[in-house]
Amino acid sequence: MSGVNIGFWNSVRREISRMGSRPLYLIMMVFIPLGCALFFISLMSSGLPLKTPVGIVDYDHSQLSREVTRNLNSTELLEICSKDESFHAAMEKVRQGDIFGFFVIPIDFQEDAMAGRKPALEFYSNMTYFVPGTLSFKGFKTIAVTTSAGVMRSELSYVGLTPGQIGALLQPVVITTHGIGNPWLNYSYYLTPSFSFATFALMIMLFTAYSITEEIKSGSSVQWLAVAKDRISVALAGKLLPQSVIFIVVMLCAVAIMFRFLHFPMNGSLLMFSLAVVIFVLASQAFGVLVCSALPNPRLAFSVISLLSVLTFSFAGFSFPVEDMYGAIGIFSYLMPVRYLFLIYVNTALNGFDTYFVRYYYVILLAFIPAGYMLVWRLKKACLKPVYVP
Amino acid sequence: MKWFVDIARVFRREMSLIVSDMGVMIFFILLPLAYPIVYTLIYNPEVVRKVPVAVVDDSRTPESRELVRQASAAPAFGLYGYATDMAEAKRWWADRDVYAVMHIPSDYAKDIARGEQANVTMYCDMSLLLRYRALLSAMTSLQIKLAEDITEQRIDLYAGSMSGMAGLPVETDNHFLGDTQQGFASFVIPGIVVLILQQSMLLGIGMLGGTSRERRRANGGVDPLEIQDASTFSTVWGKALAYIVFYIVPTMFLLRYIPVIFNLPHHGDPVDYLLFIFPMVVASAFLGQALVALIKEREYVFLYIVFTSVVFLFLSGLTWPRYAMSPFWTAVGDLVPATHGVEGFIRINGNAASLYDNKEPFMALWILSGVYFLLAMLVTWWLRRPGRASAKASAQRSPSMAADTMPPA
Repeated sequence: MSGVNIGFWNSVRREISRMGSRPLYLIMMVFIPLGCALFFISLMSSGLPLKTPVGIVDYDHSQLSREVTRNLNSTELLEICSKDESFHAAMEKVRQGDIFGFFVIPIDFQEDAMAGRKPALEFYSNMTYFVPGTLSFKGFKTIAVTTSAGVMRSELSYVGLTPGQIGALLQPVVITTHGIGNPWLNYSYYLTPSFSFATFALMIMLFTAYSITEEIKSGSSVQWLAVAKDRISVALAGKLLPQSVIFIVVMLCAVAIMFRFLHFPMNGSLLMFSLAVVIFVLASQAFGVLVCSALPNPRLAFSVISLLSVLTFSFAGFSFPVEDMYGAIGIFSYLMPVRYLFLIYVNTALNGFDTYFVRYYYVILLAFIPAGYMLVWRLKKACLKPVYVP
Repeated sequence: MKWFVDIARVFRREMSLIVSDMGVMIFFILLPLAYPIVYTLIYNPEVVRKVPVAVVDDSRTPESRELVRQASAAPAFGLYGYATDMAEAKRWWADRDVYAVMHIPSDYAKDIARGEQANVTMYCDMSLLLRYRALLSAMTSLQIKLAEDITEQRIDLYAGSMSGMAGLPVETDNHFLGDTQQGFASFVIPGIVVLILQQSMLLGIGMLGGTSRERRRANGGVDPLEIQDASTFSTVWGKALAYIVFYIVPTMFLLRYIPVIFNLPHHGDPVDYLLFIFPMVVASAFLGQALVALIKEREYVFLYIVFTSVVFLFLSGLTWPRYAMSPFWTAVGDLVPATHGVEGFIRINGNAASLYDNKEPFMALWILSGVYFLLAMLVTWWLRRPGRASAKASAQRSPSMAADTMPPA
């Protein structure tokens, strides 16, 4: 065996014995990432938060107003938790967080509706919480419009129109909106994978930086390089490859749980997606190496990685589209590997596009790997003369 | 009176440790200062505008063009172009040029002229729910607008006796509370600032504690920069007071000035939200000291605390409402001060609630303060327990390490 080969295997052996030496490695590489993935899966297992707690203020107390109340309560989006006597009482409940919206039926509602005096049904949705606010709005709007249509239907049938004519009168144009790939509006399908991947990215990068800078902090980096015959590339390969294997296995586990056991939509090829996951792990490690090479100090490297990773949850555009961000902020999303994995996920798993349409994302993910090792000569210098700055 | 003097001495020492440690200062000053600004800048465009849409118009009539014109008037709808057929539109979609396809069937104008119901189909990309939501609400409004326009003409046609009636007999009037423009920054930032408040405290306190533990290890179980003769009680309180006092300015900045600078909803009375958030700061000051049990080295805060920000964000119910969580996760969320802090602050800030309206989270925060105080006492006592010093002293490492790990105080 050549010297380089021996150096590599000795480095691998050294790294594996380090991994076995303390629980921190297991916690960081397995428990935290997998635990976070399971957390997201379990938290949002129902997919869409139905039964938004809402209130009703009925000033009319008529047959029609009671019917409206029943209709409200029968939609899956709403659950009437409180019936209040006034607007102010309902508002108080909103302020106390008991309800996320309320519906107001005005005084003399039935009478005015039948007489054609156009009473107004009012509803209030608390948008300080986006999801319950939106869902309560949707439920209220549906009931308000159908109530209105119901009144009109009976009026028009008095003048002798057929049901077909009435339908065309009430809704002359029907615009049906189809959500492709996620017709259930399942929040979990797009939040759980993306947030889990971003957590993986955070932990992989932090751990890579930890395992390298820890050597510098404790001064063992000299010995680390010596084992690899003073070749930084061999030393890094010996250190990072065992970690890559563990991260890839853990991440594919999470992917299997989501797409095989829990049947998250996978309209593309699971094999190609798994390949993207493998490249993503290597790309994230390379990113960690790049930061360590630029800043061979544990605190500074961790700071940069944490800062970028935590912001990635926002600027990678998992919830707010990158196209609508300010240009100067939006470009940051393209600097992080997880953005490309996210794009591959939504475009293949949800939209079902062929790999052809996401080919560039694969290429860019791959490009992160060599880019991460650009500054290793700096890292080598730091490892040979380890200086620890707290 | 000794305990009182001791608290003051611990307070002074902790303050000087904070100020002399660059890493801690970054957490205590730079993080609360810069992070919310970056966050708000990310979300500051607030709403999704001009989502590119392809139109497949098989009708090719004045009516269908009018429909597209009216749709384009909605801020969320951005007309990308007319595709000749669905196959071309689909290709545009796959190339990421459009995020939705509107299909107008060939009999659209015919149906309207005949007084029948005309159907239009919208296919929407679901990679982001926000885009779908924007387009869906634009289409709903359009549908209602068309109903009003067309129905009015038709009623005249069918029944002259009802010609006085225009539109629907019952009007609907919707109001949005708190975040009236449904902006994304206005929704998410008030919650985020509270979370930043707690997380930056936990990170900074953890780093101080980890550094102290490193000094302790290097010096045979005794931290030379600690007030040795202060009791556990005085130590925990002295440190907590230092953090609380230090956080007066960041708290004011986060809760008051971030909403004001970025013109986010900010309706609450400062007295209400500052009084409300006080027990959260107290609870965080104690929780941070309790978490030092995990932080063996100063850098461990990054490994153990950074990822919790995402978990805590979800537990707070900001993205996924708490009423839809399982009892287990609700209970876990109850243990995090920021969960109550986010709930209460959002109500005060967005809905102008009072402190009284938030009596439940307020009480919960005081209970958490009590619990974490006891936990902090336990951890501090365990770290400083006398048996440890002598045991470590026998296995003492080289004393020169002490100088390395000591910050320049």
